[in-house]
Amino acid sequence: MPQEPKKSRQTTKDPVETSVPAPLPLKLSLEDNLQEFSRRIGSSSDIVIRHYKSEAKPPLTLAFIYIDGLVNADTVNQAVLQSLMENSTLNGDSITTEAAFNLIKEHILPVGGVKEARTLEVLLPLLFDGYTLILFEGLQVALAADTSGWEKRSINEPTSQGVIRGPKEGFTESLRTGTAMLRRRLKTADLRIEEYTIGQRTGTGIALVYLKGLASEQVLTEIRRRLNAINTDAILESNYIEEFIQDGGLTPFPTIQNTERPDAMAGGILEGQVGIVIDGTPFALLAPSTFFNFFQSSEDYYQRYDISSFLRLIRYGAFFVSMLLPALYIAVTTFHQEMLPTTLLISLAAQREGVPLPAFAEALLMELTFDVLREAGVRMPRTIGPAISIVGALVLGQAAVQAGLVSAAMVIVVSFTAISNFVIPSLAIANSIRLIRFVMMFIAASLGLFGIMSFLMVLLIHMAGLRSFGVPYLSPVAPMIPRYLKDIFIRVPLWGMNMRPKTNLGKETRRQSPHQKPQPAEDAAKPSPAQPKPQGEGPA
Amino acid sequence: MNKPGTLLRLLLCLPLLSVLLSGCWDDRELNELGITSGSAYDWEDNQWKATYQVINPSSGASGMGGSGGGSTSSPPFLTFTVKGRTIMEAIERTNLTSTREMFFSHSRITVIGESLARHGINQLIDMFLRKQDARETVFVFISQGDAGMILDQLMQMTKNQGAGIQLMIEQESRLLSYYPGTRLYELAMALSSESKSAVLPEILLTGSRTMDETSETAVTDLPSRLALGRLGVIKGDTFAGWLSQKQAFGLSFLTDNIDSATIAFPSRPATSDKLDASFILQNSATTVHPVWDKDHYVMEVNVKGSGVLTELGSVMDLNDRKAISEMETSLEQRVLELMNNAWAEVKRLGADVTGFAVRVHRSDPKRWKQIEKEKSWDSVFQEIELRPQVSIEIERTGLSNKSFKSVQQK
Repeated sequence: MPQEPKKSRQTTKDPVETSVPAPLPLKLSLEDNLQEFSRRIGSSSDIVIRHYKSEAKPPLTLAFIYIDGLVNADTVNQAVLQSLMENSTLNGDSITTEAAFNLIKEHILPVGGVKEARTLEVLLPLLFDGYTLILFEGLQVALAADTSGWEKRSINEPTSQGVIRGPKEGFTESLRTGTAMLRRRLKTADLRIEEYTIGQRTGTGIALVYLKGLASEQVLTEIRRRLNAINTDAILESNYIEEFIQDGGLTPFPTIQNTERPDAMAGGILEGQVGIVIDGTPFALLAPSTFFNFFQSSEDYYQRYDISSFLRLIRYGAFFVSMLLPALYIAVTTFHQEMLPTTLLISLAAQREGVPLPAFAEALLMELTFDVLREAGVRMPRTIGPAISIVGALVLGQAAVQAGLVSAAMVIVVSFTAISNFVIPSLAIANSIRLIRFVMMFIAASLGLFGIMSFLMVLLIHMAGLRSFGVPYLSPVAPMIPRYLKDIFIRVPLWGMNMRPKTNLGKETRRQSPHQKPQPAEDAAKPSPAQPKPQGEGPA
Repeated sequence: MNKPGTLLRLLLCLPLLSVLLSGCWDDRELNELGITSGSAYDWEDNQWKATYQVINPSSGASGMGGSGGGSTSSPPFLTFTVKGRTIMEAIERTNLTSTREMFFSHSRITVIGESLARHGINQLIDMFLRKQDARETVFVFISQGDAGMILDQLMQMTKNQGAGIQLMIEQESRLLSYYPGTRLYELAMALSSESKSAVLPEILLTGSRTMDETSETAVTDLPSRLALGRLGVIKGDTFAGWLSQKQAFGLSFLTDNIDSATIAFPSRPATSDKLDASFILQNSATTVHPVWDKDHYVMEVNVKGSGVLTELGSVMDLNDRKAISEMETSLEQRVLELMNNAWAEVKRLGADVTGFAVRVHRSDPKRWKQIEKEKSWDSVFQEIELRPQVSIEIERTGLSNKSFKSVQQK
């Protein structure tokens, strides 16, 4: 997709070469205005211009402009055209155009959003948003009525972040549906939604969603500043925004979360994160995000805390397996054979008999094969999808071992690595370690365990230096804040998380009243301020 | 402004420095390694004769028994013998015959031939302690004849013979306690201690022929097996003599090396000396106190043990407390006898494998200095009087109160 070209850096004010003429006020003559319109937007087939002339003397001459497909035809016909044409006052004699304008604006139009505008520059974006423009003969001001209504995808289950237990609705491509879903989950007056339009050519609507008082003003100011600084012609997906506003462009680690789940987003907002919903994509962003946020899944809070804690620990384990297992295998089998138990060493040695490639080349070959398979699986038409698994599993896995091209142990290592990669709930961080894995393998093949440790240290230093909108990437582990560790490696029961961690630079605020651990009645009678909470404010 | 950048660059250079330390030139693929599971050393014609047992991975030697895949006809390991004026010369000569680079980190056992033990083993120990990939944790054995022959023998149930012998000695010292498994570092420590003596278990072939063909092991009762035999005594760095199995058992009591042991004893020593009962000693602790008695040392050896009665062949009612204490006395007598027997032989060999020198040094450093100065330990050792005391408790008598014989006679 066309993105901002690098060379336009000097002309920061106007990098996009769209011809933006000076604001042009409307003319008195309707004919002139319409001509100007067609000059600007051409004669595209989907633009409908409807002329109307009342029977009164002098006749009231109007023109309706709307874009077919963006408007709801019923609304245009009934609420705009019909109500105007059938209004007796409007069609009566001796009504001035000004009076008619006010009448239409104040009384006649039965639609929610009516705006007036005096220049084409204001009117055109409204037209593209599905408004119906009403131009008047003899007036330098026009009306725009919100008649938008286009075909939308209905709300579906999120495809990339499924859960077993928990809400099954995901964001859709519509910005308004997204904000509505959040509003439905956060019925508080503190919920703020700020809208921006970014991208000269795409004019993508972007909504900043946060809870006033919880989200840090510092972070908000920074996000607003960075959003306003974006000057590009196209925002087609949330990643466009993410790449423009995230800290440290040159890092393999993501510093902004993306989610398809409104409940996960609401959970983040409730912990002081700021949500960014982008029109045209079901993936919304959450910032600031620390490393550990990427290991939290919204399902952690929908299951019992013990199993959630266990699963979370498994995820961290899988993270390291996915990053290090092939590298460790290479290092141990080519440098540190003494570290293996004898029987394992012999069985590995037996498998390597007759394998033509050194362990590193073998691992690299298999890892690349898997990545090719994975990419093919994504691209392949759904109907022939199963073919991939047959070709991948049988032909490449089994046959390669039988043909003596790779050792069986290597197939196990590669498959376990690949499967571990899918355990990590966030695809963003899973993808980043996919790349680190290759670097690790290379270092392991040249320097052994020593190299792996050195590179891990370099990674750690790098991560400790990262910030996400001012929040240290490794907080609350580095800097260590022990009482915020309740929801990092394990998840303590909900009644144990009374305070909201302020790792997101927000305030440390009380989330719920203390002493809510369920107890038998006589014990609970003592101090517990029984404040019934109709809705458990589940942290997410 | 310049400073943080420089620091970062320096940090990034750190891992690059590691390239100088180790690198791809050190790498060895698994199929280039000759994984050595055991080695044997003999002294022949004034030369070192070293035998190495190299695992043949493609025979499926990883499977500890059962069919581990691979072709069963190829032997699980190969041995080759090399000679050299020094050990390393011999090792390096393996490269003249072997396709694989010798890799010693997974060695489990080392067998020392009697010929070498008589020649002296300190050079061998030095090599093990000095060489980087040699393992000081290998179990050391001694064999009466040619040590290299031991490594040729195939074992049943386990294909990796070195590991099999290790299992054998570990199991023995855990369940039987006749002799402690001696690892190379323990041997080195014992020889360099005040006692300057050590014991090595003997490994031998029960038959006359070596089973070194894979087809020969496909029988249920192997005519010739590997077994643990006597206990070889090393003094200084040369071989001093043998202790029999019974004496070795007594020595285990003296040196507190009993883990668990089975003792056969006469249940009614008053009526018959027949060994007709068994007892499993589950806990045993020995304390040794050297006491200077005018002109010689008295070793107060105190053995305390407890265990379970497992076999009883005489007519006896175990509800009777007296019968049990009678048996306990009989057991104590038996252990005393074992210890005295061992002590007599140790004294005869003049090798302080009991570690009494260490005890003396610890309890009486002043006199030890004197002894060391005069180099008179050998004569002091000969003067030592053993004063053993044994107390053994039968804690449980198993599932029946009466012996089956007494039930029958009713």
